[in-house]
Amino acid sequence: MAVSAENKRRLVTAALVGPAAVWLFTFLVLPFTAVVIFAFGERAPEGGYQPAFTLAQFANLGARSAAFANTLTLAPIGALACLLIAYPVAYYLAIKADQKYRMLLISLIVIPFWTSMLVRTYAWMYLLGARGIPHLFELAGIDDVRLLNTPGAVLLGIVYGYLPLMILPIYVSLEKLDRRLLDASADLGASPVSTFFGVTLPLSLPGVMTGVALVTILLLGEYLIPQLLGGGKVFFIGNALVDLFLQSRNWPFGSAIAVTLVVVVVAVLLVAMRIAWRVSGSRQVDLI
Amino acid sequence: MRALVFALYLFLYAPIALVVLFSFNSGRNASELVGFSTQWYGRALSNPFLMDALQTSLIVAFTSASLAAIFGTMAAIGLERLGQRTRAVFDGLLSAAIVVPGVVIGIATLVALVELFSFLNPAIAAVWPGTDPPKLGLGYGSIVAAHGLFTMALVTMIVRARLASLGRDIIDASSDLYATPLTTFREIVLPQIAPSILAGFLLAFTFSFDDFIIAFFVAGSRTTLPMYVFASIRRGITPEINAIATIVLVASLVLIVMARFLTREKKLKSGAVLQKA
Amino acid sequence: MTKKHRENLPISPDDFMHEFMRFKRGSVTRRHFLGVTGLGLATAVMARSPGAFSTAAYAAEDLGTKMSIATWPNYHDPATFENFKAATGVAVEVNVFGSNEEMLAKLQAGATGWSLFVPTNYTISTYHKLGLIDELDLSKLTNFSAATENPRFTKEGQIDGKTYAVPKNWGTTGFAVNTSKLKTPMKTWKDFFEVAQTEADHRAMVHDYQLTTIGSALVALGYGFNSIKPDELAKAEELLIKVKPHLFAINSDYQPGMRATDAWMTMCWTNDGAQLNRDIPAIAYVLGTDGGEIWTDYYAIPKDAPNKAAGYALLNYLMDPQNAVKEHIANGAPTTDSRVISLLPKEIVSNKIVYPDEAALTPLEFGAAVTLTDPGRAELMARFKSA
Repeated sequence: MAVSAENKRRLVTAALVGPAAVWLFTFLVLPFTAVVIFAFGERAPEGGYQPAFTLAQFANLGARSAAFANTLTLAPIGALACLLIAYPVAYYLAIKADQKYRMLLISLIVIPFWTSMLVRTYAWMYLLGARGIPHLFELAGIDDVRLLNTPGAVLLGIVYGYLPLMILPIYVSLEKLDRRLLDASADLGASPVSTFFGVTLPLSLPGVMTGVALVTILLLGEYLIPQLLGGGKVFFIGNALVDLFLQSRNWPFGSAIAVTLVVVVVAVLLVAMRIAWRVSGSRQVDLI
Repeated sequence: MRALVFALYLFLYAPIALVVLFSFNSGRNASELVGFSTQWYGRALSNPFLMDALQTSLIVAFTSASLAAIFGTMAAIGLERLGQRTRAVFDGLLSAAIVVPGVVIGIATLVALVELFSFLNPAIAAVWPGTDPPKLGLGYGSIVAAHGLFTMALVTMIVRARLASLGRDIIDASSDLYATPLTTFREIVLPQIAPSILAGFLLAFTFSFDDFIIAFFVAGSRTTLPMYVFASIRRGITPEINAIATIVLVASLVLIVMARFLTREKKLKSGAVLQKA
Repeated sequence: MTKKHRENLPISPDDFMHEFMRFKRGSVTRRHFLGVTGLGLATAVMARSPGAFSTAAYAAEDLGTKMSIATWPNYHDPATFENFKAATGVAVEVNVFGSNEEMLAKLQAGATGWSLFVPTNYTISTYHKLGLIDELDLSKLTNFSAATENPRFTKEGQIDGKTYAVPKNWGTTGFAVNTSKLKTPMKTWKDFFEVAQTEADHRAMVHDYQLTTIGSALVALGYGFNSIKPDELAKAEELLIKVKPHLFAINSDYQPGMRATDAWMTMCWTNDGAQLNRDIPAIAYVLGTDGGEIWTDYYAIPKDAPNKAAGYALLNYLMDPQNAVKEHIANGAPTTDSRVISLLPKEIVSNKIVYPDEAALTPLEFGAAVTLTDPGRAELMARFKSA
């Protein structure tokens, strides 16, 4: 009896995790293996892939150094810009805002997600184009203001698109904060400023780390914002990848870049986790 | 600080207001306001390609989110029963599914499926008895699979966090009272994790419905709504797009309000999960 | 695809009818509208070209209700597709692309859903070689007339005596300049790249397309438009990368930027040049005296087209001179078919943007098939964009 109960238990477990396991294997492990194999192949004469074993694709990575550099600077800058705006807002929502309106205010942060990202970014194309904000400058007598297709426009699009993802985790960690700690700090004669730096900020750091890591990682694979607001001039790795697969048809080189991108993402994540552990003093930090 | 928050909401909503405003534009251009009209709503709803794209997106989002919710929840429950080593592998794969950028998921799925089909299709044709063998290709299946990969991992994470917070004693108490494991699950566990599953489903749906980059690679001859919008930006956007975006926004607002209303007492918990994710 | 250009035309009775129909659609029922336009169209076709009872042919075959076409930005009169739908019940989805490479990549990566597409002359041999297109069944294209086509622009549609593609129109690749913003006179590609870095700083656009962008840079340096010599390409890359920080955008759909005056100067195809000049006379179209491209765009049907019947029907519809002339008037690209020329209004035939003097065409070259598949050019373009 004991054996069959054990068998039954195993069977149930297998049935429970089976579908997920099959899915992960078929659509994550297999495809990624294919990409790794492709990365060592060659471009076929008419484009695409042909089998080979060469390190040439990886050796050629330098040809996309600008895209890597763009991504690796604008992604963290974008995440930091999000943080600078998000923190005070999350602080206000979690600590200062009237309890009655808190849920409404938070919902208002989330709602933009329910309008297509593409359509909202298109709205920015209009606002930053010559008929939008530059036109207002022109009316005020300032000519030749150029906003669209600049790194600044891409940064703005990034902040616009990812701000909610930064606000929410910080808000959650601030909201969990025990208010009696703040009161105690004040009772002990600490100024609001030192209460903030001594109590509030350190306790909200896990949320900050989650937000920064989440936004940075998503930005590393960004395609749409640089494509639409950068005019094909501000190029991210994501854009280089799309270009290699849907324009210059160099699948092996694209695969090599994809592999490298994943390595970069994992490296960023590991560094972020390490910092998070150090900051929070524990390993109980979920970054994702 | 209040001023800053106000400015932030203005920043978040100005482009959305612009989108809605231009949906009532009577001119053809989405960039010059000419006059007021609701004609674009009618045009959008009678544009077969736009409606087709909307339908494709709804089907894909609903299917992938449902599968993600079901399989993700099952995995979250089953994972606790796995041995440590197997679980570590599983955890690694789940994290990978979440952190690998969408563009890479799209490329990897495309590359693997194109190769697989180029191998399978002749094989099927060789053994097919009839004259018209089925031809595997990119389409609904590949989009659902690629979207579901990310969202299933997401649901697993969310439901697992909830399960962990449940505590063992409530389940032990139930089995002490001679409830079968299935009864315990149905009566005790499921009601507790339901809000998390729902939150996971909604997140999955939203992600899939708004995803462009994965579908861009793996949709084959299908067109999702974001793909249609992207193509429209290239061929010159008309207020039809604004109209459909406004309709989607209003529909989701109605759904959110309804959901809030229905899950009033549970809102804090599910809200927290939603925000955590 | 804006309709603005149509508003600036002196309205013809024909256009008036279309506008009237469009206006009426708001107030009459759909069925009634379709009935009226369908009838009107059928009558018009029968009255003008007794040989082409095309509507009868549409009825004989099941065309479905939908098809999609892959083409170029601002390349068709939207009314064409509305009329086609009225005549056949088939709605046409227009997908636009910025380069032939992008179309090819889509076809190589599996199903596209297109039932008709518009490749440029130099790509057809590669599509044929890769087995991505089928030989056309000319019996289904009764409106196509090989005898009236100008062979100069049609030969690349035929391979080994079989017809794989039929010409849509020809054209040139030059550049458009907003002369109210830019005062430097420009005649050559050399001028283009110089002004792009000076007077037109941050106001110039180049195509997201290896053939024309690299080709023009090569021409500016005094090399051949189709060169694949590594040392010449290296020089071209140097020039392009030097110019890049000064560009407004790298995008083959430059009309919105030019119309909004975000951009003041752009690499430009005949049809866009004609449309821009018609609506904004200050925008001039210049053919490089040092070289550039002359091309023919064709219609072809992909091998895996989901609705070949509708693809043929639309192609046959577009080959009807009565329809082709309307397309011509709207999009401004010169025709390869002498039947269409005879129907054109005089002001179009004498428009030097659309039909330049032979002397202006002499320095131009047709694109070469090798540029499509040359890895050096593909990678150069990709490097330029990611630089």
